Amino acid sequence: MTKVRSTYLLLLAMAIAFPYLVPDPDFWVSSGGSRALWLGVTALSMSFLNRNLGLMSLGQLFFSGISGYIVAISSVTYGVKFGTSVPLAILAGTLSGVVIGFIALKTKGVYFLMLTLAVTLGLYSFANSAQEITRGHTGINSIPSPVIFGIDFAYTKPMYYLFLLIAITIFTFCKFLESTSFGIALKGVRDNEDRMTAMGYRILPLKMIAFVFSALIASIAGVMGAFYVTNISPDSVGLIRSIDLLVIVVVGGATYLGGAFVGAALIVVFEAIVQDFTQYYVAATGALFIIVLMLAPQGLMGISAQFRRARAKKLGAAK
Amino acid sequence: MTRFIFTLLNGLTLAGLYFLVASGLTLIFGLMRVINLAHGAFYLLAGYISWNVVDKTDNWFLGVLLGALSLGIFGTLVYLILLRKFQYEELRVALITLGVSLILAQGMLAVFGGEYYQTSIPENLSQSIPIPGIEISYPLFRILVLFLAIIVAIGLWLFITRTRYGAIIRAGVDDTAMVSALGINVQAVFIWIFFLGSVLIGFAGSIGATTNSFGMGTDGDYLLFSLQVVIIGGLGSIGGVAIGSFLVGVIGQFAVGYYPTLSGVITFAMLVLILAFRPQGILGKIR
Repeated sequence: MTKVRSTYLLLLAMAIAFPYLVPDPDFWVSSGGSRALWLGVTALSMSFLNRNLGLMSLGQLFFSGISGYIVAISSVTYGVKFGTSVPLAILAGTLSGVVIGFIALKTKGVYFLMLTLAVTLGLYSFANSAQEITRGHTGINSIPSPVIFGIDFAYTKPMYYLFLLIAITIFTFCKFLESTSFGIALKGVRDNEDRMTAMGYRILPLKMIAFVFSALIASIAGVMGAFYVTNISPDSVGLIRSIDLLVIVVVGGATYLGGAFVGAALIVVFEAIVQDFTQYYVAATGALFIIVLMLAPQGLMGISAQFRRARAKKLGAAK
Repeated sequence: MTRFIFTLLNGLTLAGLYFLVASGLTLIFGLMRVINLAHGAFYLLAGYISWNVVDKTDNWFLGVLLGALSLGIFGTLVYLILLRKFQYEELRVALITLGVSLILAQGMLAVFGGEYYQTSIPENLSQSIPIPGIEISYPLFRILVLFLAIIVAIGLWLFITRTRYGAIIRAGVDDTAMVSALGINVQAVFIWIFFLGSVLIGFAGSIGATTNSFGMGTDGDYLLFSLQVVIIGGLGSIGGVAIGSFLVGVIGQFAVGYYPTLSGVITFAMLVLILAFRPQGILGKIR
């Protein structure tokens, strides 16, 4: 435990010092750090579900999209202040989780994956067709960034530290939640629903709370994305984005909470490097994804465990 | 009244196209438990291939034939190289096919560009026919698509339920070991199913490229349609796909025709409503 804790503290110190350590901070703090934190929080909402309920959801961008669009529409079209628009957006995104959860949680495995993908693609086609509300394919541009206590979060460093604070808070809360009796009950549901039912647990409410909590995280990430990208369009919730997010989760390690941030950082760096060589970095990301799925399905965080298992198996065979 | 019948015809012919699109998906899943989420990308690829063939040779039938066959070969290769090893891990296979669709999406954008295309209808099929009872006439080609879908539906159903090969396929899925013991090469059967399913999506893509324009983003649209169809109808059943395509096509067209802004919401509400009562889809089996 102390080893894990010191690793976390070291990573935290590095994350705080990051803007002062990297070369070319104008690029890397924003396009590297803030972007990785935003994508990491979105991916975390997915890993949390996968780790605790065993459900792989492609619906997280739906919640992000709902909250992102509400921030964009209320602040650009109606000039609503952040104090109102941000809570409203997060609330709406979270509540949409109740509706989606109501139908999606009746399914499992690959059905759940398909259903949540259909939900996200449905928002994409709605955003494309409902031009009066969403301005169609062009989307909503120049979303103003928040100014709190005189600090303008459009600037690179304030935004980075705000995102870091949000990411650490959510990550710590997820860890805390997993250690409560609620979190342990969730793992029980994941591993054996029938036994948990026999023990008197009510399965659906447990799943629903976890699902709505993940929708809350995704909604917060949606607001982060609106402020980071400063625009939102149907492509923000399109097929390619959905798969991109999945790549982050799987490459980092879908059964580890930290995998979301490891994956996000890796993909951000990977894309930045590949972009220098070829404009087809999306295809390169797809190839990386397939390779990871075929060779190391537990992702980067799971590689050492995979090696250990493989070696144990080899030793066992040798005996 | 005219508007109503016109919308209904649009819905029905679109339902025919959706059936062709989703039948390959459901065939492969129903028989092999493999879900191919690169389905939309396959559809779009077939569209590009057939468009180019028709553009070069001026032969529409050759375009459709090559579109269907090349997708059959491509799909089989994807299955052999990437999927076969993990065939019994449903989720892993589904994720790999999503990776394939990511690569295909950008590959097609690089090769064919961002413009939209539509294959021209062969000349002898391009006329409109009058619809009895109302004042308008309707494109013959679209009505042919509807009939084509019905023929494919009946053909598939007969093939799976009434022929020896169909029996082998069904048995091979239920008990692979037993069927192998009877001297049948189940692995070869699976390859043929994947080929057939991919030919179906290639066929659908070539037909759809003629009835509707296609281009960047069409892959996501048709993946959504086929997911809606199989989720509503029930995954793995041909009849379910027929019902699902009918609902998504007809209700979708009425929504677009009468409430264009809300069209996405209406189809979605229908999906939610059906799943609230039947989580496995209308004809789906509980597993």
